[in-house]
Amino acid sequence: MALSLSSFLNPIAILLSIWLVPTVVADTVTFDWDIGWTRANPDGLAERPVIGINGQWPLPLLNITKGDRVIVNMNNKLGNESTSMHFHGMFQNGTSDMDGPVGVTQCDVPPGSSFRLNFTYPDGLRGQLVVHDPENPYLGQYDAEIPLTLSDWYHDEMPGLIAGFISYKNPTGAEPVPKSALMNDTQNLTVAVEPGKTYYVRLSNIGAFAGQYFWIEGHTMRVIEVDGVYTDPAETDMIYITASQRYGFLVTMKADSSANFAMVGSMDTDLFDKVPATLNTNVTGWLVYDDGAPKVAAALLEEFRPFDDMTLRPQDGMEILGDADLTVTLDLSMNNLGDGANYAFFNDITYTRPVVPTLYSALTTGVNANDVAVYGEYTNSYVLQKDEIVDIVLNNADKGKHPFHLHGHNFQAIYRGPDNEGSYNATNETAFPVTPMRRDVLMVRPLGNFVIRFKADNPGVWFFHCHIDWHLITGLAATFIEAPLELQKTLTIPEDHLEACRVFGVPVAGNAAGNTVDVLNLEGQNRAVAPLPAGFTARGIVALVFSCISAFLGMAVIAWYGAAPVSTAELACAKRFVAKHGG
Amino acid sequence: MTVNVFAVPVFFICFRECLECSIVVSVLLAWLKQTIGPERDPVVYKKLVRQIWWGIGLGFGCCIIIGGGMIGAFYGLSKNAFSGAENLWEGAFSLLATVIITIVGAALLRVSKLQDKWRVKLSKSLEKDDGSTKRSCFGSFKLWGQKYSMFLLPFVTVLREGLEAVVFIGGVGLSLPATAFPLAVVCGLAAGVAVGYLIYRGGNSARLQIFLIFSTCVLYLVAAGLFSKAVWNFEINAWNHAVGGDASETGSGPGSYNIHNSVWHVNCCNPQLNGGGGWGVFNAILGWQNSATYGSVISYNLYWVFIMAGFGSMRYFEKNGHWPLMKAKAKAAIVEDEPIESGESSRTGSDLMESSLEMTESKQPRGSTRVRELTA
Repeated sequence: MALSLSSFLNPIAILLSIWLVPTVVADTVTFDWDIGWTRANPDGLAERPVIGINGQWPLPLLNITKGDRVIVNMNNKLGNESTSMHFHGMFQNGTSDMDGPVGVTQCDVPPGSSFRLNFTYPDGLRGQLVVHDPENPYLGQYDAEIPLTLSDWYHDEMPGLIAGFISYKNPTGAEPVPKSALMNDTQNLTVAVEPGKTYYVRLSNIGAFAGQYFWIEGHTMRVIEVDGVYTDPAETDMIYITASQRYGFLVTMKADSSANFAMVGSMDTDLFDKVPATLNTNVTGWLVYDDGAPKVAAALLEEFRPFDDMTLRPQDGMEILGDADLTVTLDLSMNNLGDGANYAFFNDITYTRPVVPTLYSALTTGVNANDVAVYGEYTNSYVLQKDEIVDIVLNNADKGKHPFHLHGHNFQAIYRGPDNEGSYNATNETAFPVTPMRRDVLMVRPLGNFVIRFKADNPGVWFFHCHIDWHLITGLAATFIEAPLELQKTLTIPEDHLEACRVFGVPVAGNAAGNTVDVLNLEGQNRAVAPLPAGFTARGIVALVFSCISAFLGMAVIAWYGAAPVSTAELACAKRFVAKHGG
Repeated sequence: MTVNVFAVPVFFICFRECLECSIVVSVLLAWLKQTIGPERDPVVYKKLVRQIWWGIGLGFGCCIIIGGGMIGAFYGLSKNAFSGAENLWEGAFSLLATVIITIVGAALLRVSKLQDKWRVKLSKSLEKDDGSTKRSCFGSFKLWGQKYSMFLLPFVTVLREGLEAVVFIGGVGLSLPATAFPLAVVCGLAAGVAVGYLIYRGGNSARLQIFLIFSTCVLYLVAAGLFSKAVWNFEINAWNHAVGGDASETGSGPGSYNIHNSVWHVNCCNPQLNGGGGWGVFNAILGWQNSATYGSVISYNLYWVFIMAGFGSMRYFEKNGHWPLMKAKAKAAIVEDEPIESGESSRTGSDLMESSLEMTESKQPRGSTRVRELTA
């Protein structure tokens, strides 16, 4: 069953390396991975099947250096599921076909076959990829690194959860509530630290759904990097990290301490449909100064006061890009379609995977690749010209918080509206920041909006979507086709990618409907479920009319019966009766 | 700042519940007056009228007690006795009401044709029986039902409508200030009673036959609506359990109904929401739902088919002496029975027919039925 969601391995990396300097290849790092099922019980509450690499779960931490070339040879040994893989923070410049999202840049990797790249992460196949940067501006300010992941965790496997989620019995679209939170895929983690030292903590949220509040008791964090972009240092006590975001910060240990300090990840329950009383939404770890000292449980907080990432400034001082050549407005809404289930929409269109992966459409439709029509009506596609400055205005008509991720780029986050602000109104806004914060996952506030800006300098097909897995699978996604004509000149799809498509019978050429002859003819494209009927359908009118006719006929019969005289025999008998018994 | 002294949803709830009761009661009263009549047989008349008022009074009293208990439990113990089983209760009550109205409606029509005979019969039924005849348990129950039918129908109707009103008012009332209730309740009840009174007066002045036909039609419309609503309530109950919670919390929109069962759905005109307004009255009289299911539509039509078949058969029986599809047993044999003392079945017209038309010895004798051959 194809469950490829654009999921990720998280690099807390310097993307610039692979992007700006593609020719500097230091090492080639090859990973040979057998993706298969194994079992684990990270929260101690329930053992369950998980997807591991080479029989191991939690997954190994991957360490590479900026400039390395990474080759992943992936064998899908799952047996029952296909898969694919996406790396956050890798711009895949020149290698858009390696980006990973199924239906966008490639097909599923069928079970039993080999492929390079792609898969379904909440079942366990997610982890941290750390890219070390020899040119890190903060090098020398820290003594060691601490890699840390936060995640939500389910006890049930995704196929069952998805079936229950996208269903007419779940018309409000209530997302499945996680069963626990994990830190480094376990609970009660201990990290040994030495007094006086400064550590560079690389924190990633590899969860499927829940954003988390993170803090370390007794210590302040100095944020120096988000999603792989170095920032000017910013001090804070608490970070809010959404699914798929990464934060890098420096923590200086106390000079002298014999106590241990808790670090806590606490899931944001605002989006949880019902919070069962037995659910522990927190996961605690400890910075251990002294093994002999007790590990005291974290103190409860009155309220959460997290850091606002919009206040960050990039360390390289990159100024705001010029005015936008193209502004893409995406209105987010959630609604029910004709099957009774709840779906997510951009501009009233819910993303539906096309017949041909969008990248392959871009490569095989010749000059028409510049015409957005060839990519289908249900893919929320936009064609960007090379080096255009693009603004994405996202208006959130939903009461939930949504973390949006753009593949292939870091964007400048130039505006984020507060809760309930409604749609973005350009005339109301004051000046944008001179050096806006850059990252690749930005959260929009409930009933709020945001504006992000980037330069389309990376030819490829890039997915833009909510990183809450549940919303992604119900279609909260858009596709950016960047400089398709350039792409046609520079990109060739490797044979094993095409082979994976053929195994499933997926065509690899043509428009979104697979039409190679007339690419503007979209007949046969994958459509979303039809909308709910707006009022009376034919069958409703028939039923109502029929019922009225029945009632009239019935009343006619009653009237006929009531008006009919009594037969003479009956009348005679009645008279006899009255006479007999007295009136 | 004006004080809210009139809660419109509460008015409509009270009006439509009272309206259903009024229709039933006023038809009964008018019929009694015309058929039995205080001039013709004051004793029987008074007894039956008293039964009706007892039914109303006890029904009202019971629903106040039960309703008060439910509301008290809700506010005091935070136990919501309504939700969960609310639809089941409504469905069951509606079904019961349908059955009773169906039977009584046919009886009213039937009886009006032979008023004299029925006056006698009724007066006999109201006399104490001497216990000389044996009858089965079921027979006793039937007998009791006959005697007190004038009590039962108003009692069940008032009880059901009253409980519905309490439940609905409890639902909408949470958001309304207490000052808004009294006037709305009084006006709603008064409006319902006014309509009932009009029916009663109309009944007394019009020709009995016309009045009866008209009022029976209305009664059957109400009963058909009730039957449809009963089925609808059971289906909504199942849907609530499937969705895990009260689907009506989502209002009239998607999620409040099961798309697979739906015959029509409009996002407006919901008789359940916020008191229902005019649509609630529409629902009370005719069973209108903004979200109809296959079950509710089919049951509505099947009910009418059943009624048509039933009345058609009754007419056929009257004319031909036997039910359709059954053979005529014998010619010119008339059976006269002493229906009440013998614990005879008194299903609407059937005993009347048996007593007035041909019947043979081969038909099972009932009780101490006496068969007398009448030579043609």
